[in-house]
Amino acid sequence: MNMFEIGRICLKTAGREAGKYCVIVKSMNDKFVLITGPKAATKVKRRRCNKEHLEPLVEKINIHSDASDTEILKVFEHEKIYDKLSIEKPDTVAIKAMKEEKAKKKSLVQTRKPRLRGGKSAAAKPQERKHKEPEKPKEKAPEKKAEKKVAKKHKPEKAKKATKPKHKKESKPAKKKAKVKKK
Amino acid sequence: MPRPALRTRSLRRILKKIPGGAYIIHYSKRKPSVAKCARCKKPLKGVARERPSKLRKIAATIKKPSRPYGGNLCSKCAKEVLKETKLKR
Repeated sequence: MNMFEIGRICLKTAGREAGKYCVIVKSMNDKFVLITGPKAATKVKRRRCNKEHLEPLVEKINIHSDASDTEILKVFEHEKIYDKLSIEKPDTVAIKAMKEEKAKKKSLVQTRKPRLRGGKSAAAKPQERKHKEPEKPKEKAPEKKAEKKVAKKHKPEKAKKATKPKHKKESKPAKKKAKVKKK
Repeated sequence: MPRPALRTRSLRRILKKIPGGAYIIHYSKRKPSVAKCARCKKPLKGVARERPSKLRKIAATIKKPSRPYGGNLCSKCAKEVLKETKLKR
């Protein structure tokens, strides 16, 4: 009989959020468990928690593992849990704040702007790379460059992630020059 | 012999070394005692002990734990009280 199953409503007994209700979303270990309030309803954040700091209650809801906060709020309304626990329903303000936080997190992960040397003044000007190669080896080079580009496409991309962004633009023209001279 | 007002044991005696190399006695007031749990009377942790003039300068978040019943009950007693009050409903 495992009391700490997915969907079980608990009372937090320790920490800053002691005395507030939460829902178990996922089990991570023998000792730890992922919980949410959700935050709009009970002001408990989505984080892991020790089983010893939770007191399971009689109530339980039907959710799948790793459910989002909006899904849990819908189930709360459906099963009338606000009345059972005597909690206030979340306002439209709280739900808006929840959606804004989600949108912020998504936007932070997707856009990673490359760092520019020279600060804000450099960001205003469009940066141009200086091509110092002569014309003659260019005729021979594109044929072999195309071959090598296909083979070596993956390597410079990997090197980008490993090296610091400041040294990005110095390394590229140097590599091209080395290829040309060896031939 | 110190003057009569300084003979009381409610003052702390501190030895200080002066530039000439000798030691002299300075007197200072004592700190307040350790705070105790309102339920089990054990000493509380995380509660600052200073005289009022110094206590005012410390930030509010440092002076007591930031959990319900922070400077009043110990963590064990707080758990029991929360269970009693919230689970009865």
